[in-house]
Amino acid sequence: MKTVRWLVLCLAFLTMFSGCSGPLSSESHSSESNLPNHKKITLTLWYWNRSIDDELLARAEKQFPDIKLNTQKIGGDFKAKLKTTLAARSGEPDIVALNDWMVELFPSADRFYDLRTLGADQFKDQYLEWKWNQGITPDGSMIAFPMDTGPTALFYRSDLFEQAGLPSDPEKVSATIRTWDDYMVAGKQLQQKLGSRSFLADNIVNVYNQMLAQNTDLYFKPDGSYIGNQSPHIRLGWQTAVAFHKKHLLANADGWTPEWNASVNNGKVASFIGAIWMKQVLTEAAPDTAGKWRVARAPGGDGNLGGSFISILKSSKHPKEAFEVLTWLQNPEHQLEAYQKIGLFPSTPGVYDDPAMETPEPFFGGQATGLIFAASARNVKSSYFGERYPVIHGIVTRRLANVAKQDADPDALWTETMDRIERELQR
Amino acid sequence: MLKEIWKHRAVYAAISPFYLLFGIFGLFPIGFSLYLAFHKWDGIGDMTYNGWGNFGYLVTDNEFWQAVGNTFAIWVYSTIPMLFFALMIAFLLYAPFVKMRTLWRVGFFLPNVTSIVAVAIIFGALFANNFGFLNYLLQLPGLPMIQWLNVPWGIQIAVSSMVVWRWTGYNAIIYLAGLQSIPHVLYEAAKIDGATGAQAFFRITIPMLRPVILFTVITSTIGGMQLFTEPQVLVGNDGGAGASGMTIVLYLYRESFINNYFGYGAAVGWGMFLIIALFSIVNWKLVQGKK
Repeated sequence: MKTVRWLVLCLAFLTMFSGCSGPLSSESHSSESNLPNHKKITLTLWYWNRSIDDELLARAEKQFPDIKLNTQKIGGDFKAKLKTTLAARSGEPDIVALNDWMVELFPSADRFYDLRTLGADQFKDQYLEWKWNQGITPDGSMIAFPMDTGPTALFYRSDLFEQAGLPSDPEKVSATIRTWDDYMVAGKQLQQKLGSRSFLADNIVNVYNQMLAQNTDLYFKPDGSYIGNQSPHIRLGWQTAVAFHKKHLLANADGWTPEWNASVNNGKVASFIGAIWMKQVLTEAAPDTAGKWRVARAPGGDGNLGGSFISILKSSKHPKEAFEVLTWLQNPEHQLEAYQKIGLFPSTPGVYDDPAMETPEPFFGGQATGLIFAASARNVKSSYFGERYPVIHGIVTRRLANVAKQDADPDALWTETMDRIERELQR
Repeated sequence: MLKEIWKHRAVYAAISPFYLLFGIFGLFPIGFSLYLAFHKWDGIGDMTYNGWGNFGYLVTDNEFWQAVGNTFAIWVYSTIPMLFFALMIAFLLYAPFVKMRTLWRVGFFLPNVTSIVAVAIIFGALFANNFGFLNYLLQLPGLPMIQWLNVPWGIQIAVSSMVVWRWTGYNAIIYLAGLQSIPHVLYEAAKIDGATGAQAFFRITIPMLRPVILFTVITSTIGGMQLFTEPQVLVGNDGGAGASGMTIVLYLYRESFINNYFGYGAAVGWGMFLIIALFSIVNWKLVQGKK
């Protein structure tokens, strides 16, 4: 009787745990059935939707017959999932795509291969210098290889500019609205002609972000020291953003909200400075305004916002092969292809003169906007972000948003922001 | 003792899965978060011992205390109307003249099983600053628009209304169960003594429901202090304008997973535990003490 009871229990446990062993056993099965190709090595690659062209990844298998490329499109919070995996120290991919938050990974640079030890330097002159340098930690190890970039430019409504008596042709706009002051003057004119029907720019944080994207001395120096409280560029960015608010040039439409979408679609926003990937965001948000938008060079100078990178993790057993795949995926030819197919802007200036850049775009009234962004990308200045950039930048922009939304006193808030950052740096 | 356990080992083995799972997924994370609260950790690299540093920072952290204040404000705005409406609904559902009760009960309970993310998106469209539905309604009779998501109370009302919408039916069902357990004879006796409906409600229903009310107050205290998804989807990781929608758990999430201060996030979690415990005791005393 007792043995029967134990048998039943054991059975119950077996069924409970068989769920765990299921996938493992099936995997070993499949590798056994693949015995003839046992020489093939497997490389796991993590990316997110539209960061790498899916078709290109499919072609990679043919290009590298000895490699089985296990591509995993990671949905949801990519950064959190990568960090959890890094913390767990198991199940790490060989190759991983990274967004511009990759600066946060600099303290953990030892978890990545220094790509220069794998021979990255031979490709250096094919890529934008400032983009290349962003992937190198202050200690000099290159943990991230350039993928696409985010050159910035001025997006504007030609019809509204025309109604306000402003130049509406992209060349003329580029030539006349050259500085932030020019841009504000244009905004005043727009306001006089169109009243509160249209505003010059979308929101205060974007003005600040764009100003930083054009400048070099941000919150930190490469040696890690904090300079935000004395950096003229930070201060100027804050003051310019506040001036936009005080002159009522902002529609106060926050990015990534239905409000923003509605505002660009119904003409409440007449222009904004944005990175090239805003083209897709805008096209989807404002279908009713197709043909009316144009792109000109950004007032205040060319800049970069966003763009991504790709790395090889130290846990990878096949770094050489991974590096081959990575450089093949991101070579100039394939970057150009990704631009044509899914709008990822190349970080390889060699292809900027390609006829593909001159494709007219109906949403922008037949303008070939690629030329504008190519010119912008070439001009971006090298700037250092530092691993705490996201945190510090968040502290500043949250307070800046309060200036616009709750009419908080900008001077008092500036002091408070600087104090808050000091406190933050001490922990 | 051990002998006794060994004697009944089959029984212990049979109930062990719960304890094993609880040990792995319940007890271990609790212990680990306590360990983490005394360390600095960016989530990937090595942990360094920080002593009471995280807690020292916590008590002097304005943003944390603002989050505590926001959470309490949202709790007040949501729990009081929620429990009041729930009691009214339960009373109506219990009334003899209501037909198709099961349908009503299901209807009132339905919001509770709806995805919060979907709800938050809908409420976002209702409360939107310029093109929101509420502002559209306000404009119809010529009233001024309200920048709901720019003013602190606007954000807090928006979040609270989501909580009310979601949990009123749930509490109503609990109250209904409580109402059904009150013996009918009490009401009949009251009727014979000439009591009015209101008198019966305040002298019989409310006192008899006290344990049930206590239960709902405690659960909504815990739920309210742990509010996260609603503000996160409605106003984002930063809590919206002026961080007015920043709740304690949202703050914990932002510090840990956005700003990579995992040790500090754990300390926030333990701070929150203390606050919930204290606040629950206070509520318990208040509801209980009216004897």
